[in-house]
This record gives sequence, C-alpha cells and structure tokens, in this order.
Amino acid sequence: MRTDELIAQLTGNLDPIRKGTVVRTLSGAILLGLAGSILVMLTALGLRHDFAAAVISFGMWMKLAYTFALAAVGFWLVERVGRPGAEMTKPGLFLALPVLAIAVLAALQMSAPGANIPVLVLGHSSRVCAFLVALTALPTLAATFWALRRLAPTQLTLAGVGAGLFAGAAGAFVYSFHCTEGAAPFVGLWYTLGILLTAGIGGFLGRFLLRW
Amino acid sequence: MIAQEAQYRDWMLAALTGDASAYRMLLEGLTRHLRSYYARRLDPGAAEDAVQETLIAIHVRRATYEPALPFTAWVYGIARYKLIDEYRRSKRHATVSLEEASDLFSHDATEVALARRDVSKLLAKLPPAKRQLVKDIKLDGVSVAEVAKRTGLSESAVKVTVHRAIKSLNDELVQNRENRDADR
Repeated sequence: MRTDELIAQLTGNLDPIRKGTVVRTLSGAILLGLAGSILVMLTALGLRHDFAAAVISFGMWMKLAYTFALAAVGFWLVERVGRPGAEMTKPGLFLALPVLAIAVLAALQMSAPGANIPVLVLGHSSRVCAFLVALTALPTLAATFWALRRLAPTQLTLAGVGAGLFAGAAGAFVYSFHCTEGAAPFVGLWYTLGILLTAGIGGFLGRFLLRW
Repeated sequence: MIAQEAQYRDWMLAALTGDASAYRMLLEGLTRHLRSYYARRLDPGAAEDAVQETLIAIHVRRATYEPALPFTAWVYGIARYKLIDEYRRSKRHATVSLEEASDLFSHDATEVALARRDVSKLLAKLPPAKRQLVKDIKLDGVSVAEVAKRTGLSESAVKVTVHRAIKSLNDELVQNRENRDADR
C-alpha cells in the first residue's frame, strides 16, 4: 500500500480517545491479576492461622504499608514505561523512600536493648519467603505484562523490570496475609529480595514477551 | 525545544478528540520526518515499510500519548523502537545510539521540498516509462509487487529497470560534476 493511502485510511478511522485510557487498561488487568495472586495465597499457601489477632499487630501493618508503598510507586513506573518518551528517573528514585524507611525501622529494632538479631533477620521462614513472594506475584506479573503489551513500551527490559517491581510488591502485599513474620529486618531483607526476584524475572522475560 | 513541538502537539490533541483534518496534517508532517529518518538508516525498501509501520503504531497506540509530556519525544520513542525492531528482524547487529528526538525532527519540510524539486529535474531526463517506475518505487513507496502487477512486468524486471535507471542518473550526476570541475 502506498503511504498516502495508508494515511487516508488511518485518518478515516479516527475514534476519539477517552482520557485515562492507559490507567483504565492497566487497572483493569491488574485487578484481575491481584485476584489471581489472592487465589494463589488462599489456596496454595493459606491465610495465616492467627489472622484475627494479627490484624491489629504492628508487624502486619508495617508489612502492608511497606509493600503498598512499593506497589504504588511500581504502578507509577509501569504507567510511565508504557508511554514512549516518558522519563523514568523520578519514579525510580521514589522507590528508595519505602526501602529507606524500612531500613531505618530495621536498624532501630536491631539496636534495641535485648534484641535477638538472628531471630529478627531470619525469622522462621527466611528460606522460602522470597520464593513464595515471587510465586504469589506471578498472576499479577502476567496481568501487568498483558496490559503493557497494549500500551507502547519501547525499552523492553526496563519495562519488564518495572512490571516485575510492581507485581513483586503487589505479590508481597498479598503474601503478608499468609506470612506470620512481623520484624522489620526480616521484611526489609526477604520481602525486598522476593520483589527483586520478581523484577529480575520480569526484566528477563520483557525482551521476549513485551514486543509489539 | 524542538521547533515543531507546539504545532504537532496541537494537532495531536485535536486528533485525540477525533479531529480528522488535524490528524491528517499531523500524519503527513510526521511522514516527511520519518522518511528522512529511516532513509538514513535502512535500505530503501525497508525504509518505506518502517515509515508505514510507525504510522500504524502511532495510530494504534495513540492513547499512550500523555499531553503533559513532549509530543516529539513520544513520536521519537516509537520511531526508534520500530528501527530497532527492523534491525532485529533483518538480524542486523547495529547499535542504535540514544540520540535526541531532535534528530528525527531536524530534517524539515523545506529541505525535503527542495530535494524533491532537484529529483524531479533529474527524473525528467529519463524516458517516461522508466520515470514512472522510479517515481512509484523510490518516491511514492509503492511496493515492487504492486508495480509489477500494474505494468505486467515481472518483479525482477521492475527491480532491474529501476536499478539501471538510478545508475544512469547517478553516472550523469558524476559526469556533470567532472565536467564542471574540468571547466574551472
């Protein structure tokens, strides 16, 4: 086809675009993905046995706040990474804020009098935590990829890492309802590793799965 | 700030609300930049394909343009992605440097118009049948298969004719330059 014919065709096929289309595409997919992650948590892992008591514990709220903050910045990253020409440094830098906050909290807990550092850092599930976070994150990662393919990511590895960071943080949020750990050093180390693991998976797969 | 930013952005914003005439001007303007961008980086056949692919991508993905961000950077992001895509497909290992969006927009319409005038003067030296072939394939981006179908020639005959015509024009240009240099 000649280029001028193509232009005529595209021009004749011009529907108005509603504002917020990108965010709607992303949110829709991500809600589905989150439902998948919750299902994995409830069926494969199970809600924590002391859930009723934990709802009012500091540890639970700290985990939720930490992972929610990372997921919120992650969502922002994903939204930008799907738009050509958008600058990524600022949301990238914002990721440091929650990490810094939990690092400070972890340092406080470890330097408190009578602190048992190995227990604070290793808890009782350090061997599986990061892997289970990534497992819980997988449905959300798949949904985020699906949505990103409908946007226009131009740096595929970076887009995959962004999707992985978001999905990892969302997965860790969901995983919080299974895991009984509540110490800041544990969460700051193993949850963060689980999120980074998911980001690595996303970065690796991005090149192959995000092409459009 | 790129000179065309304000004009193109206005057209794009109008297009997003469904204004077809603004959209046409936008796509026509962008086509000129894209042609020269890809012509400097790809083989002639692949270049026009890349222009069309980029136009389609711009159309299909137009919802990803965020009005708070520069429009030229958005287009450049897509153009660069399609260039990398083309290299990947042709298994050519090339690095695409992180140029600025200005690289896409530095070749403007006047320059193209002047070049077109020179080209049409040159083309006038060819016999009419050959001239039409060269014009269709090299300037208007018609595919070889289509021209072959229309003229009844085989695809390879079309390619060979165009190739010879270009070569004869090229020889003529060289000849002219040598004559001019000799006159001095």
